[in-house]
Amino acid sequence: MNQLSASAVIASGRGQLATVRQRSLVTAKKRVLLVAVGFVFLTLTALVRIAQLGLFEQAPDRGSLADALLPPRGEITDRNGVALARAFPSYSLWFNPKALGAAGSPLVKTPEEVAHALVQIFPDADYKDLVARLKSGRGSYLRKRVLPEEANRVFALGEPALEFPRENQRYYPQGSLAANVLGYVDEEGKGHVGMEQVLEPRLLDPARRGEPVELSIDARAQGALEDELARGMAETEAKGAAGIVLDVDSGEVIAMASLPSFNPNRSDRAFNDLVFNRVSNQVYELGSAFKPITIASAIDAGVVTDLSVRYPATPLHIAGRTIHDSHAFGASLNVPEALIHSSNIVTAQVADKLGGPALRRTMIALGMNRRPTIELPARGFPIFPRGENNAGDWSRITTMTVSYGHGIAVTPLHLACAYAALVNGGIWRPATLFKLDPSRIPEGVRVFKASTSARLRQLLRMIVVDGTGRKADAPGFRVGGKTGSAEKSAAGGYRKTSLVATFAAAFPMDKPRYVVIAMLDEPHGTAATSGQRTAGWNAAPIVGRVVPRIGPLLGVVPDASRDVDISDLSPLIGNGDGE
Amino acid sequence: MILSAQRLRSIGWLALLAVCGAAVMVLSFRVNALRSQVHRAEGQIVALKQQKMYLETEFETRANQQQLKAWNDLEFGYVAPTAGQYLENERQLAALSKPADPGAPAPIRVASVDDTVIAPAAFPELAGPELSGSTQAKGLARAENGAVRKLAETHEAEPVSHGADARDADLGPGRPRALDHAQETATLAEKLGTIRPAAARKDEAHKDQAHKDQAHKDQAHKDQAHASEKTAAKKVHPAPRDERGEKRAHPAPAHAATVEKAHPKPSRESARPTKDEKKDARSGGEHKSARKAGVKTNR
Repeated sequence: MNQLSASAVIASGRGQLATVRQRSLVTAKKRVLLVAVGFVFLTLTALVRIAQLGLFEQAPDRGSLADALLPPRGEITDRNGVALARAFPSYSLWFNPKALGAAGSPLVKTPEEVAHALVQIFPDADYKDLVARLKSGRGSYLRKRVLPEEANRVFALGEPALEFPRENQRYYPQGSLAANVLGYVDEEGKGHVGMEQVLEPRLLDPARRGEPVELSIDARAQGALEDELARGMAETEAKGAAGIVLDVDSGEVIAMASLPSFNPNRSDRAFNDLVFNRVSNQVYELGSAFKPITIASAIDAGVVTDLSVRYPATPLHIAGRTIHDSHAFGASLNVPEALIHSSNIVTAQVADKLGGPALRRTMIALGMNRRPTIELPARGFPIFPRGENNAGDWSRITTMTVSYGHGIAVTPLHLACAYAALVNGGIWRPATLFKLDPSRIPEGVRVFKASTSARLRQLLRMIVVDGTGRKADAPGFRVGGKTGSAEKSAAGGYRKTSLVATFAAAFPMDKPRYVVIAMLDEPHGTAATSGQRTAGWNAAPIVGRVVPRIGPLLGVVPDASRDVDISDLSPLIGNGDGE
Repeated sequence: MILSAQRLRSIGWLALLAVCGAAVMVLSFRVNALRSQVHRAEGQIVALKQQKMYLETEFETRANQQQLKAWNDLEFGYVAPTAGQYLENERQLAALSKPADPGAPAPIRVASVDDTVIAPAAFPELAGPELSGSTQAKGLARAENGAVRKLAETHEAEPVSHGADARDADLGPGRPRALDHAQETATLAEKLGTIRPAAARKDEAHKDQAHKDQAHKDQAHKDQAHASEKTAAKKVHPAPRDERGEKRAHPAPAHAATVEKAHPKPSRESARPTKDEKKDARSGGEHKSARKAGVKTNR
């Protein structure tokens, strides 16, 4: 019984065991499958990750570097890559009254002591204003654009409330150099006055602001021009000065200066009268500097064919007015002599012979009746004689006065472009402030024949060699040019004592490369100018000093063994030494 | 046995998977590490570039044009180089070594004379194989007729005609204008050495004055010997006002008289007679005629 029951138990136990085993096997297989699936999944994930890493993430965030270095506002450079304006995270001096906690005094020392120390570091700071700000208990800028060494000195005061946040600001490393060309950027980041205003969309465009904008300006020439104009202005106690250096073959403005100027780094103070650009925005009656244009027009039209023809030099009475010369130059003068001595009378007679319409056409072709062609936003509109009849024809007296630069007021930039056309072979081109690729120089408009231009080069050179422009004769640079001293007009006529003295020149005259114009507004006769107020004594010496400084920089090598041939005209000059 | 083989196989798979997993992990770590390194390096580059920009800007600010001018005015006093400090080409360099002829004016190349035009015009006779009378005669004829326009338009060609004029004045109206061989050579020699800075020429003019006596001795024109001996006698015991010229003087080689005479070229420098020239003219030397030619075109 026991045996039977035991065997039955064994039999049933075996059966159970088999079942258990079966179950366990199934479970195990399931688990193995699960694990295998897990492993396959992991392997697949790993493979996918490897593929992802290997294929797509080789160059992590390539744009980040460029983004970090992309300036918020594009850089402006001169033609040689010298930075004139750039976005610069400069230090500011910020007063944070909560730096030492809300309670108690924000400063370690007294506000007066701190203000005194700050004035020692920044001599132009206002002591009372600083004390008021430090006492006010409100956070405020004490100063912007602090130099690193100044920041170090302020840091050494040991005041935790004085902080130096770095802020992106517009910075002009060259200070006031070319300020009138560049303009300035205000607190809101908006450009004003010069190229900052013109180039605003380009400078802020994320796609293009990484590339600097190249201007046609040469910082070295600009500096030299500003120096010498400032010196001339100081010597003659003039109200202002203007100057321009223009490439005669391309119309690129190499330097443009208007003095007194302003400091664009102090944008809070920048907007004042000084932002006014005398070169492109102010119109002047430039006087005798127009005479070469009249003579060129007459030679071009075939009115003056023989330069030895003499014209009477006695005062002219026309339409109730009398045309005088500054001095009496004898009974008669020929055209070269008239230019050398700057005779209004003879120029007026030549213009009379030429006729109003022809002179007017020349002036219009030289752009004298419209705003100067340049990128600057502020461009002065010339005062162009409207003419005495409906067709706009000039009367005899208008023609005559225009011939020596009166009754017509233009900007110095107009004159520079006209002189470029006079000496470059007769082609007028618009002026530009952008550096031009040689292949993209504008074709220009022919105003004078090449032969007329060649003749004018001789005549302009003679004025400097023998005439009123002697003081501009920089040795070896073959300067040629014409003086112009015009009385300023005022209510009821011309003021005898306030002049605009201009010297318009080009060099080297055997193959002109650059036009240089220097203009002084209301110069006085001083010891430095031998008591004279006319252009030959104040504006011409400026050109005479500027040219040797800029010539070699601009690729004009002084050479005393070269010159323009004036031997065919020199016998026409009667100065006592010749025939 | 079978079981163990199976187990071994599964252990093998396990180990392989573990290795793979570890490799993936290592790879991920390394990739991440490298990425963070790249990122850090990138950050450093940006920081350095910015720092460079700050320093550059600070440097430009401190060395800006106005600042440099202030330093120059105060400290250095540099001025722009003058014409005499430039040498344009090898010809100018060579011309420096050539002694100036007595009383020679500073040569001026007029208008925009292109060297490429001058060189063939001035040199062909020297370069050609036949340096004979026929070529010279041809060159002479050209100069006389002004047929070579390119050359005749410049001062380079002028000494020929002016020189002839001067001689005419000296030697009487009956004398033919043609130049003899020596004179032609002198004209050519002058053509070769015309380019030199005016300043140098002026200095050398002093030299030449001081040593005129030497030059005069060598003169071919004996008919003027009398006058030049007078001059020489004066120069041997220099007058006080000639001291400056004497001090500067260096021994100058003797010049052929023809070279001396071929220079009455009118130019601005020559047109204004110097003190020495005036003196010489008073003494009745051959410069009288030279000066006459110069004054003719003076302005």
